[in-house]
Amino acid sequence: MVISTDEQTVLKANKPALAILGNGKASNITGKPLQSSYRGSSLQKDDMPVPLPASFLLPVYPEGRRQLIDFRVSKIKIHRKAYWLAIGRTVEKQQTLKLQLQHLEKEKMLHEMKVSFMSMASHEFRTPLTAIASSIDLLETRLQLDNQFSEFYRHNIHKISDEIFSLNTMLDEILTLSKIVSNNFSPRQTAVDVHKVISSLECQYFSNRKDGRSLVIKVAGKPRNVFVDKDHLAKIFNNLIGNAFKYSEKKNPAILLSYHKHKLVVKVRDHGIGIPQKDLPHLFTSFYRGSNVDSIEGTGLGLAIVKTFVESNNGTISVESEERKGTTFTLAFRYTEED
Amino acid sequence: MNRKILLIEDKPGLSETLKSLLELHRYDVITAVNGDEGARLARSHRPDLIISDIYMPVLNGYDMLELFKKDEQLKHIPVIMLSAKTEIDEINLAMKKGAAGYVTKPFLFKNLHAVIRKALKSVPSH
Repeated sequence: MVISTDEQTVLKANKPALAILGNGKASNITGKPLQSSYRGSSLQKDDMPVPLPASFLLPVYPEGRRQLIDFRVSKIKIHRKAYWLAIGRTVEKQQTLKLQLQHLEKEKMLHEMKVSFMSMASHEFRTPLTAIASSIDLLETRLQLDNQFSEFYRHNIHKISDEIFSLNTMLDEILTLSKIVSNNFSPRQTAVDVHKVISSLECQYFSNRKDGRSLVIKVAGKPRNVFVDKDHLAKIFNNLIGNAFKYSEKKNPAILLSYHKHKLVVKVRDHGIGIPQKDLPHLFTSFYRGSNVDSIEGTGLGLAIVKTFVESNNGTISVESEERKGTTFTLAFRYTEED
Repeated sequence: MNRKILLIEDKPGLSETLKSLLELHRYDVITAVNGDEGARLARSHRPDLIISDIYMPVLNGYDMLELFKKDEQLKHIPVIMLSAKTEIDEINLAMKKGAAGYVTKPFLFKNLHAVIRKALKSVPSH
């Protein structure tokens, strides 16, 4: 509503204001002094303070029910003349607000329950998986000691073992994704030594491999910390390094850390099967997998998770690849917050 | 003389298999089902190495590690933690509390064995 500053009469009102204050008719309010309540109240016009306060509540009685309108007032100038501009919003009944709040809390609780259920379930799944993996190891050892470890046993035992670990990776990915979709993954950023994180991943997951390969780690420049979530960073590199081993055979994958002036650039490189050009644009989409992966197992979730985590930590990621030559992922992260 | 390993694990399915695996690799193995029993067996049997789960009833792996590090007789026995938790902070916490190694579940015995051998290097044989 536009209100004159002297008499405080309503000069102009938009449709919702006309509907609620003037019963839909402009003549009911325009040109008349702003009242301290509309329809159903006997209060006088001089109940409205002069000048208008910065905000006020106006009671209205449409259909006999009391409702409050919250007005915010500001001074405007039209053709160098000053007016009040009052913008009103109906105040939700406290009861309605309470109900909405309850709904929100319930929704939040359901989300949290879902995540904790997923977390509990994936943790519990690991118990039988670990027991199965150990039984397989035991079978293999027994057969070896008894000189009965034929090619047939070797092939099938390794197949079971590989499947157990890919099932385990899937569990990890599903758990991570369930956290992402319920928005429960806000990064807890601290100063992180990326080299240290990669070394501990290498030691934990990529050493003593069955095929005898190892990860090559190279560092250039003066090491500095980056400001990221440590667990996200570990998931990012665990996935990229895991892929580098998974989609290549003979040569060792390499990771290069280059500490530039303003950012850390990390390259994860393999000499594997590569990614066909036509797949590159869709690479970071959930459930999308390269057309040349054939029988190599995967959920198609890994790189989608990687990209989400890189971006939520203010980093960038890109990929270059050539079929049958290899793939290089390039990531960049800024240094600590103060930079 | 075989090295003696105390295996602390509350899941019987895994404990039994892992015990057999270690025995096939010529270790003597005693087992416990929680940190409390583990601490008692460690005092009476003086193992060369302890392999322990972290999340177990009664006394968990972290509390047990703390208990060991305060005990003159037990603080030199290397403890390898075995856990399904993969978070880096979890691993760092275990190492900070004095663990000799951390292996995530599920594991390949080959990897666990490499960690065992490394940890035993610091222990003089009897």
